[in-house]
Amino acid sequence: MNPIYFDNAATTMTHSTVLEKALELYKNDGYFNPSALYNPARKVKKNIEEVRKKVLSLFPGNYDLVFTSGGTESDNLAISSFARRGNVVATAGEHSAVYNSLTFLKQNGVEPRFAKLNKDGSVDVNSLLGLVDEKTTFVTVTHVNNETGAINDVNSIAKLVKQKNSKVIFHTDGVQSFLKIPYRISNDIDMYSFSAHKVCALKGVGGLIYKKNLPLKPLFFGGGQEKNIRSGTENTLGIYALGFAIDAFKNVDVNFNHVKALNMRFKEELASEVTVISSENASPYIVSFSIPGVKAEIMQRVLDDNGLLLGTGSACSSKLGVSRIISNCGLDKRVADGVLRASFIYSSTLEEVLLATEIIKKCAQKLKVVLK
Amino acid sequence: MKKIVIIRYCEIHLKGKNRGYFERMLGDNIRHALKDINHKYVKIPARYLIEEFADEDLDLILERLQKVSGIHSISSAIIVPSQKEEIFNTALSLCEGKSGTFKVETNRADKSFPIPSIELSRELGGVILDRFAKYLTVSIKNPDFVVNIDIRESGETLIYTDVIKCMGGMPVGSAGKGLLLLSGGIDSPVAGYMMAKRGMRLKALHFHSYPYTSEAAKEKVLDLARTISVYSGGIDVYVVSVTEIQEAIHENCSEEFMITMLRRFMMRIAERLANSISAQAIITGESLGQVASQTIESLTSSNSVVENIPVLRPLIAFDKLDIIAIAEKIGTFETSILPYEDCCTVFLPKFPVIKPKMEKVLKEESNLKVEELIERAMAAIEKYEL
Repeated sequence: MNPIYFDNAATTMTHSTVLEKALELYKNDGYFNPSALYNPARKVKKNIEEVRKKVLSLFPGNYDLVFTSGGTESDNLAISSFARRGNVVATAGEHSAVYNSLTFLKQNGVEPRFAKLNKDGSVDVNSLLGLVDEKTTFVTVTHVNNETGAINDVNSIAKLVKQKNSKVIFHTDGVQSFLKIPYRISNDIDMYSFSAHKVCALKGVGGLIYKKNLPLKPLFFGGGQEKNIRSGTENTLGIYALGFAIDAFKNVDVNFNHVKALNMRFKEELASEVTVISSENASPYIVSFSIPGVKAEIMQRVLDDNGLLLGTGSACSSKLGVSRIISNCGLDKRVADGVLRASFIYSSTLEEVLLATEIIKKCAQKLKVVLK
Repeated sequence: MKKIVIIRYCEIHLKGKNRGYFERMLGDNIRHALKDINHKYVKIPARYLIEEFADEDLDLILERLQKVSGIHSISSAIIVPSQKEEIFNTALSLCEGKSGTFKVETNRADKSFPIPSIELSRELGGVILDRFAKYLTVSIKNPDFVVNIDIRESGETLIYTDVIKCMGGMPVGSAGKGLLLLSGGIDSPVAGYMMAKRGMRLKALHFHSYPYTSEAAKEKVLDLARTISVYSGGIDVYVVSVTEIQEAIHENCSEEFMITMLRRFMMRIAERLANSISAQAIITGESLGQVASQTIESLTSSNSVVENIPVLRPLIAFDKLDIIAIAEKIGTFETSILPYEDCCTVFLPKFPVIKPKMEKVLKEESNLKVEELIERAMAAIEKYEL
């Protein structure tokens, strides 16, 4: 029997219809290089532009899109284009793609500043605003924290930041919110990253939404694709799959409500056994919880043996020790050591949630006895 | 002008009538180490020569030989017919690019060669000085390098300047077989290396505690075993789960005795396994006083359950820094410090007992079904042949 997969914040299973349709479109004549000028190649280019239009339809306003290899590249592109001088402000809850890019910038003389988090992983807005001054050139705030699911009201934060310093370029990592959280981008947001493999499409594709005419600087050089911003032959199959995923899941509200119901039931069933770290207002797609006294890695292995796959901290921070983000939530060590992450997707079912919570309860009880 | 490698041993010289046995064993190990490289192996009195190899293989040959125990030193040399002019020209070419002090040492095994050693050394020394006066001067007492001229009975002369110190020790296979208790830590791989250096073949025993320890921790141990196996001529790794044992100790004994109890189980299992695979000793990386389980009292406790074979502890008097230095030299340090928990860190008591009294140890142990736990653990042994 297949295990129950509740680590969708790490990656999602490619939806079968999305894959079929993408392969169908790609199968016979998707291989042409979209930059070539003969007819079959121009057809491929046209298909790619259709996907671009589909993505942009989700971001009404004066925006353009560059396709990248994923969320990490999008974050890096945004940061290296605009975090070039003075100080740059982010949060302690940023994904390592943002966090590590910013720390790297120190050697270029740029000063990164990280705002404190609240206990649920959301940014302490006052702390963030306090770090913005006249020398701030760039601010980045994640939309949904990938470990706790906390939602930052990036529209209002961007507004407040620009009221303090109107010259700041504002970027949001939307990897965990794209096609999941009902959202309308505001004019104060200059750039927004997303990733395809988090929404049941393929790995190796993502994008950066950016205000038209914002002067992005390429990370690497070559044939000048994507308006000279992102060279390299396009990942045609990946882009096709992204387009079909948007078709399949653009009913963001409906999916949100479905997953919210699952999330609430999940928390209800486990109320007596676990400490929930995610707040009520967090993204329903992510639940961070802890079984105090039971080390997360051990629990994860036992759950795996019993047919349930969960994350601990984040997959990207699976190297040992408590994750940076969790420790920045100011949790007690006993709680922090036991933090697990359950994350759902569109196709998750109530049946799966009920079975998963049974498994968690059973394993937690056994381990608590053994490790008392 | 041919390139060759000269191999020398040291302790084997002491073996008297048995020297031939050790020489043959070392010869076999040398051939085994170089078996995938095209070369010719020649045995001459008290030396081995590696000849007829491709120039680009020289570095690889030197690298491999430095991992063969029993070899004292090696030199990359040139072999020429025993003609004065050839000898002198070759010696000069070896001095090219060198600076500092030197001397010439000649050994004339071939008494038919017309020039006596001392005269040859003197004359060659003079010629070298003439050519390289700007860079080289003579020092008889403590030269930076020595130009060695070895005139063999075969009518050929070996000329070399560099002597690479090697492992030393005795050839693997000459000292029986030992069972190494291999954790993922820094010490046990070094202990294994040191016994291999004395000529012991190795098998390894690793204890893990899934799900309290991860598969990654086991993989790390297999990586370490692969690194040591180069020195020990292969290694099989036996893996035993102590999950049930640890849970039983946790359930039935005082918390501070967890490690003390666990070590006793490990040693019992080690001895039984050793007996079944004809290993003649248990080898551990214990170093006196390094951790609570390695005080003399703790060692007494874990040692007392081993009845029939010696427990060898090559690191017993080593400082941690010295152990680390060896680990770095043999290439195990980087892997050892990867942060995967071994079974000794799970269930770690806050205050492990440092000087366990034997009566107390035995009393705690009486709460456990020792024999049953051991039998079940051994019934599920896994074996990895590396």
